[in-house]
Order: sequence, then C-alpha cells, then structure tokens
Amino acid sequence: MRRQKTVKKFAYALALIVALFAATVHAQASETQQSERPTGEMMGNTCAACHGTHGRLGSAAFVPLAGMAAEEFVRAMRAFRDGSRPSTLMHSVAVGFSDEEYQAMAEFFAAQRIEE
Amino acid sequence: MQRRDFLKALGAGAMLASGLSIKSVFASATPHVVIVGGGVGGATAAKYLKLADPNIRVTVIEKNPVYIRPYGSSEVLNDHIGMTELEVRYDRLRDRYGIEFLFDTVIGVDPLARTVRTAGGVQLNYDRMIVSPGIQLLYDRIEGYSASVAESRIPSAWIPGHQTRLLRDQLHAMRPGGTFVIVAPPNPYRCPPGPYERGALMAEWFKVHNPTAKVIILDSKDNFVPGPSMLLGWNRLYGYNVPERFREGMPTEGEWPMKAHEEPGMLEWVAGRDGGRVLSVDPAALSVETEAGRFQADVLNIVPPMVAGRVAFDLDLVDGTGYCPIDRRTHESTRHPGIHVIGDACVADAMPKSGFSANTQAKVAARAVVDLLAGRDTQVPLWENTCYALAGTEYGLYVADIFRLVDGRITRTEGPRFLPLDASRAQIRIGALYQQNWMRTFTEDCFA
Repeated sequence: MRRQKTVKKFAYALALIVALFAATVHAQASETQQSERPTGEMMGNTCAACHGTHGRLGSAAFVPLAGMAAEEFVRAMRAFRDGSRPSTLMHSVAVGFSDEEYQAMAEFFAAQRIEE
Repeated sequence: MQRRDFLKALGAGAMLASGLSIKSVFASATPHVVIVGGGVGGATAAKYLKLADPNIRVTVIEKNPVYIRPYGSSEVLNDHIGMTELEVRYDRLRDRYGIEFLFDTVIGVDPLARTVRTAGGVQLNYDRMIVSPGIQLLYDRIEGYSASVAESRIPSAWIPGHQTRLLRDQLHAMRPGGTFVIVAPPNPYRCPPGPYERGALMAEWFKVHNPTAKVIILDSKDNFVPGPSMLLGWNRLYGYNVPERFREGMPTEGEWPMKAHEEPGMLEWVAGRDGGRVLSVDPAALSVETEAGRFQADVLNIVPPMVAGRVAFDLDLVDGTGYCPIDRRTHESTRHPGIHVIGDACVADAMPKSGFSANTQAKVAARAVVDLLAGRDTQVPLWENTCYALAGTEYGLYVADIFRLVDGRITRTEGPRFLPLDASRAQIRIGALYQQNWMRTFTEDCFA
C-alpha cells in the first residue's frame, strides 16, 4: 500500500513537473512563435471602431457585422483583399489577415446578437 | 517633490493600510482594476474589462467630469462643428456597465502595496492598474514659446480646450490676405496627419471667407502620414505644387489629374530639407525664425514637441525616451509590475500615437488584465490603427494598418496603407463620409 502511495505521489510529482515544464515551454513558444493566431474576438475587436462594439451598429454608413453569416464575412474579406470588391480602406485591412483568420473573425461575429 | 520621494511618501501610509486587507489576485472574489485617465484609452479599457467579465470592479480616476475629445477637434477651427460637439460624457459607461468614476487627481501610487491615493484624499487598493495618461506639450522646447504664450497669443490647440477656441477666433478675425503659419511637431507626436489636415481645412475655409489668405506649414520632417495622398489632395483643391520626389504614381490624366500650377496656391509646406525647422519664435512680432529664414504670421499655431502625460512621470513609468516602456504582449510596464500603460504615453514601436491605436491597445491590455487576474495564459495580441484625415470636408484620406507582435516588437503588417493615388472621386467622397461616421461609431465604441 505504502509503496503504491509513494509511487502514486512520485507519479503526481512527475506529472506536475512535466506539466510545469510544458507550461514554460508553451509560454516561451507563445512569446516567439508568430504562427500562433490571435482569437476571433481579439481580431474582431479591432473592427469595432467603425463597425461597432462586437459588430453591433444601430445606424451608420458602416456595415454591422454582428450576426453576419460566417461565409458572407469570409467572402467579403476575400473580395476586399483581391480587389474584386471596391472599397475605401477595407483593402488595406483585408490584406493584413489570412484566410484562417477571416474564418475565426467570421465565427466571432456570427455568434454575436444583432442587438444587446 | 522628487519622483522617488513622491513614491516613498505614499508608500509609508500605504503599507499600513494594506496590512489590514491583504489582496491576492487569485483569492480576490471581485478583483479591482483602477484606471488612471478617462480618455480614449482609459474609457475603452474600462468598458472592455466589463464586457469580458462584469464581476471585475472597475474604477476610473479622471480629472475632468466631461471629456473633450481631441480627435476631430480641428473641425472646430473651420466651424464645421462647435466646441460643445467635442464633449463626451461618462454616463453611459457608468449606467450600462457599472463602471465607477472618481473625478479626482492621482497624487501617488505604491506599486508594491498596490494602492493609489488621490488629491481628494481617497485611497484605493487595486489588483491591477491601467494608466492612460495621454501626452503633455513641451512648450518651452521652442525658444520664445511657453505655456502662457500658448494660452494667450500663439495657441497650440493640440489638446482641445481654451486654445482651440482662441485659435478659431484668431483665424476668423485674421486680416484679409493674412498668413496662417502652422509649426508641425517632430516625431513622435499625437495624431500624425493632424497638422496637415488642419492646414488643409483652413485653406478650404479661407477659399470662401478670405480668398487671398495664405497657409504655411513649417516642418522639421521631410515626409508625413498620409504623405502623397494628402499632397495630391492639396494639389487638386488648393493649387499646391507637389514636389518632384512625391509625384510617382500620381495620375497625370483621367478624371482628376495632378496639375502643375503656374501660380503657387494658398497652401505651402516647408519641409525640413527646405529649411522648415523652427529655431525660435518672437511672440510679440508673431514671427518664426527657421533655417530657411524668417516667416511673418498673422495667426501662428505651434504644435510643440511632446512626451507622456505628467501622471506617467509622477508614477515613475517613463524612461529616457519620454514615454513608457512596456511588455508589448500585455502592455504591462517594464518599470512597475501590475501597472499597464496604454495610448499615446506608451512605447508602441510601429504604432502611431492616435485615438484608434489607444482604443485597440486598451482592448489588448484589458484582455491581458482579465487573463492575468484569472491566472490564465495571456492571448496573442493584435492591434489596428486607422487614421482618417481630410484634405477638404469632402475629400477623405486614410492610413490603415494591422499590427502584430513580432520578436517582442509591435510590427506593422506589410501591405498598402493609404488611399490609392488613382482613387476615384466617388471613393474620395465616401472616405470623407466615413470619416464623419467614424467620429460617431468610434466615440460609441470607447464611451458607450
């Protein structure tokens, strides 16, 4: 019994060390690895200055993004990027993101209610 | 009082007080975040903290009960808006999100005990602090210029208020055919397109109200944002002749070509290479001595060099650059842990000092604070900046950038940044419409 307990304790301690090590490595990796992607919310929040907090907009010249179908968002961003959809500054914004990032933002906005 | 004494003086009192209520970010049921400064950065941070977790107690300490927004404030000068339209109230942040406001001045922080004291005698404990102090203007850096000269005779009108009103009144009373001289600041400064937009908006106003007036922008720099797209706007609207070195890519035919004007127009920009650097000012004569000689003004507007707002110095957050060094991933000060610095006052590498930057920095910092309070890993940050600018009330320009963390620095993602030089008239007009709408949507994202 005692031996088993000791083994168990040892196993726990080892697991903890491994976990801590992994956490450290993870933390270091997230400092340096630029392929790690910001969340849809982190990226989507940068749209809010024009398109409203969480994409919610009462009435304005800008398009509300809250509740927009994800495919529509992605299609629009691709069209802004390749220039097939004319824009003022959305081309400059769209070229700054990858397709995967469009998708993450699209899912963030699709999940937002149109009104608070 | 010296900065160190200032911190120490507070420290002694704070130690006693904090002994009674030991705060732990992990043990605390409702962590308390104190925000110093209720401008764009501070207000946005407060709101996004509450959006992320309504259980966090958020207190904003701000001097003025009514905020006067600097973005768009040059539009007071041409009477496009009135001073009262710059006013922003905090009611909605308080009522909708339960954010607490303390209209008071911070006189000291103890970063170890995590306490802050105000001039009004209030002491608060905090788990994390976000400081968004904006800028202060260094009037005395220009020989002959001072805060009192700025308040009475040569306004800077860069932090809106009395000086904005003074400059507006001077411009409207300027003699027919008079000269309005703007002295643009050296980098880095708040609102990069600002001095050039201001010159353009006044040239447009003079065309109607004082058609023989002149606008001269004196500069120590050789370029500015949004650069060629603004120069092209000046060419089209005010007869400005674009220097050879900026002409590449400008349309020479089509619906709205760049022209070579035989008579120079009413707007002139004297770059650093052409001697535009200001050496001294004579307030009595309203003249400016530059490397290119003396310029006589009828109305003189000087935007002096600037550094982080005073409270950033008081709290010992500033380094030799005059701004606050931070860990870019979280905006946490590298000088005092537990204090995050956002907005114009922080060192943000490639990001300009703008309201939009402060707004996205606030969101990054708020997210980091929430995660740190919860003991979670912080997220990969992402920032954006868009500066809309006007070359005329119906001539909209912009610079737009996405920023990412690369090797510990905030780095601009490569790509086209400006209004294309071959943009159509319609696009240009829509840009101006967007600029006006942005004033409202942006203010709502920050303050409502």
